[in-house]
Amino acid sequence: MAENYRQCAVSVMDTISDPDIRFDEKGICNYYYEYKEAERTKVKTGEEGRQTLREIAETIKKKGQGKPYDCIIGLSGGVDSTYVAWIVKDLGLRPLAVHFDNGWNSELAVMNIHNIVSKLDIDLFTYVINWDEFKDLQLSYLKASVVDIEAITDHAILAVLYRLAADKGIQYMISGTNVQTENTLPKSWIFSKSDHINIKSIHKKYGSVKLKTFPFMDAKVKRYYQQVKGITSVSVLNYVDYNKQQVKEFIQSELAWRDYGGKHYESVWTRFYQGYILPTKFNIDKRKAHLSDLIFGEQISKEEALAELARPIYDPQQQKTDFEFVLKKFGMTEAEFAAIMAIPARSHYDFDYEKPIDKRYPILKPVKWLYRLLFPVKSR
Amino acid sequence: MVRKRIIPVLLLNEGGLYKTVEFKKASYVGDPINTVKIFNEKEVDELVILDFQASKQGRGIDFAKITEIAGEAFMPMAYGGGIKTFEDAKKVIDAGFEKVVLNSILFSEPLLARKIADVYGEQSVIGAMDVKKNLFGKYGVYSHSGTVKTGETPVEWAKKLAELGAGEIVVNSIDKDGTWSGYDEGLIRQVSSAVGVPVIACGGAGSLEDLKKGIQAGASAVAAGSLFIYQKKGMGVLISFPSTLRV
Amino acid sequence: MIAIINYGLGNLTSILNMFRRIGADAVITSDPAEIAAADKLLLPGVGHFKTGMETLRSSGLVDVLEKEVFEKKKPILGICLGAQLMTKHSEEGDVAGLGWVDARTRKFDASRLSELKIPHMAWSDVSFVDSNPLWTDLPADPRFYHVHSYHFDFEDSADVSATARYGYDFVTAFHRGNIYGTQFHPEKSHKFGMKVLENFAKL
Repeated sequence: MAENYRQCAVSVMDTISDPDIRFDEKGICNYYYEYKEAERTKVKTGEEGRQTLREIAETIKKKGQGKPYDCIIGLSGGVDSTYVAWIVKDLGLRPLAVHFDNGWNSELAVMNIHNIVSKLDIDLFTYVINWDEFKDLQLSYLKASVVDIEAITDHAILAVLYRLAADKGIQYMISGTNVQTENTLPKSWIFSKSDHINIKSIHKKYGSVKLKTFPFMDAKVKRYYQQVKGITSVSVLNYVDYNKQQVKEFIQSELAWRDYGGKHYESVWTRFYQGYILPTKFNIDKRKAHLSDLIFGEQISKEEALAELARPIYDPQQQKTDFEFVLKKFGMTEAEFAAIMAIPARSHYDFDYEKPIDKRYPILKPVKWLYRLLFPVKSR
Repeated sequence: MVRKRIIPVLLLNEGGLYKTVEFKKASYVGDPINTVKIFNEKEVDELVILDFQASKQGRGIDFAKITEIAGEAFMPMAYGGGIKTFEDAKKVIDAGFEKVVLNSILFSEPLLARKIADVYGEQSVIGAMDVKKNLFGKYGVYSHSGTVKTGETPVEWAKKLAELGAGEIVVNSIDKDGTWSGYDEGLIRQVSSAVGVPVIACGGAGSLEDLKKGIQAGASAVAAGSLFIYQKKGMGVLISFPSTLRV
Repeated sequence: MIAIINYGLGNLTSILNMFRRIGADAVITSDPAEIAAADKLLLPGVGHFKTGMETLRSSGLVDVLEKEVFEKKKPILGICLGAQLMTKHSEEGDVAGLGWVDARTRKFDASRLSELKIPHMAWSDVSFVDSNPLWTDLPADPRFYHVHSYHFDFEDSADVSATARYGYDFVTAFHRGNIYGTQFHPEKSHKFGMKVLENFAKL
């Protein structure tokens, strides 16, 4: 491993499991420049940010007049979506909150969501995925040995949000995606969240349960919602000074939010996926990406990031308990799971996948910027 | 002050959890294993799992599934649905449940309760009854998920259940099920005052106030489904549980 | 290794589950050899005292247990009926118990319960009388699940370790040397019970 190992001069991104990283003559990696560019073009802070938010809120309110809700937000119990909920209410908007239950919720996440909707008085819609179908999809992905197992959940969330928004006449989706803590993500670590063809082809090969209720979003449907129903996504967190530590403290005191120790650790499955499967099978430590963003945004120093990375990604006792739970949920033995972990990694492109929309329909090329805004090539 | 037990009731059907309204319109609520795990982490007092279609559909008990479910709980658990013989009850208890809930079977096999109570104690047998009002407002006990009229009144049947060996009786109002409109307090009062064993109120609780009223009406413990499974009436699934109720 | 004694009665699975969750080695067994090899013993039990005594005697394990407890001084924890069996006698069936502790098992005195019903089936607050190692570092406001119609009756309070209240104060745990007994069910008492079993495993 030691040969050709390089780490970015300013951040903790490195060459491990990242064939796309590049370094300039100063030893600074491409992610730094991409972050700065995104910050320049997408992020507005201070008074400029607040003004932008006020203007957006005015537009949303106007468009949503006479309807029960003027915007829709996703709630996972995590920091980003919790803060979004607070901002949205602070702006005087009338959101419908959507929680997506894939059968892996932790009690912490449920408690956090409960506190948010009660304290902020927000209506909640929950989409509960049929566990038998979802389990079959997850197992298919495990057997396919592809990296982005979370694509299934992310895809379904998008599908549900779009359908619900269209159903209720809501034109604005307020998203929690943000540059300041999640701009950086190596391409090889994820796959397109909106690609239903990839999910279906992987499932066709390895699945056994018929998918009767799983929410899919195919390109045609997406285009319909975007263009005809006119649904827009707004990343409000790009218009605030998004200092993670300060935000955590804020929502802790305002909304009795409880921390679970890691990004997206509100889901037992995600915890296990990021804490065990990714590092062990794919040699990917997602913390590097998140911490590097915090370095780029000057929220932490490289030393602090290195100290964080030196800590175990997963508390051993927690990992053991989670592992037993995962085996129970999947109905697998340790041996069966070990066999799956031993399968060499495959690329998502080994299976059928959706071709980029403007390649299939060149007429939509001008809309590609909107497409990229709605479906940025990074995970949540 | 004695803490009154607050008991979530989860309805199981073919491996998934559901919730009904007036025993109809079952909506999917999620995976039982994760749901019980969450309730366990919320430190609920007790949990009842009912395979509510088992007797009606003549199905057997999914022992594998309920064993997995019991493994997630470090509080008392009760299971009901399709228990027909002593062996069934034994297997359920061996799977990790403290109590068995007997409903429809007691109309055809009344001695089953005593057989189980003699070995495991009366506290291990919960006699459950589902009650509906007829057009004249008179209460009647129904079996097989509310589809078979038994001809019994709640008070008479409650007394019989206690005699037959039930250590507790859960009284469920079919009319109030899933309506968030409060317990049928008249029904609870009738039954609690008629028997010496603890009575658990069920059906209709929509708020903590309703739970308190159930205790005031004479119940020793209060049970609910919708209240703990949905965030609010008409809103999405979100597991919740209040901290201890003291009355 | 903790041997959970299987003599035919008790929430064996639940007890094993809790030991597993806290990472303690435990096994359900009725094999005298395994019992002799264990470091600690757990005597569970749910149900009728008379049935319990009969089942325990006919299992042939009483001699083995008494050897382990009195000669080898192995720590033993009795839960619910298991603890009651350690007393001298129970009104439930009017039957003699093992007599390991100087106490009797009596039915709740209905005249002192007012409207409270029997059995006592509830999560009750527990008051600790002595510094029994099982009570170390318990989470705040400890409460434990009780389900019983009969309770311990100790004349001499030396072995009384904890009390609870149901109509009146009654003994809910005892401790005598290497012999521990709880009326309540630690395996069904969430983090409180988990701590008690953890402390037992660490003895």
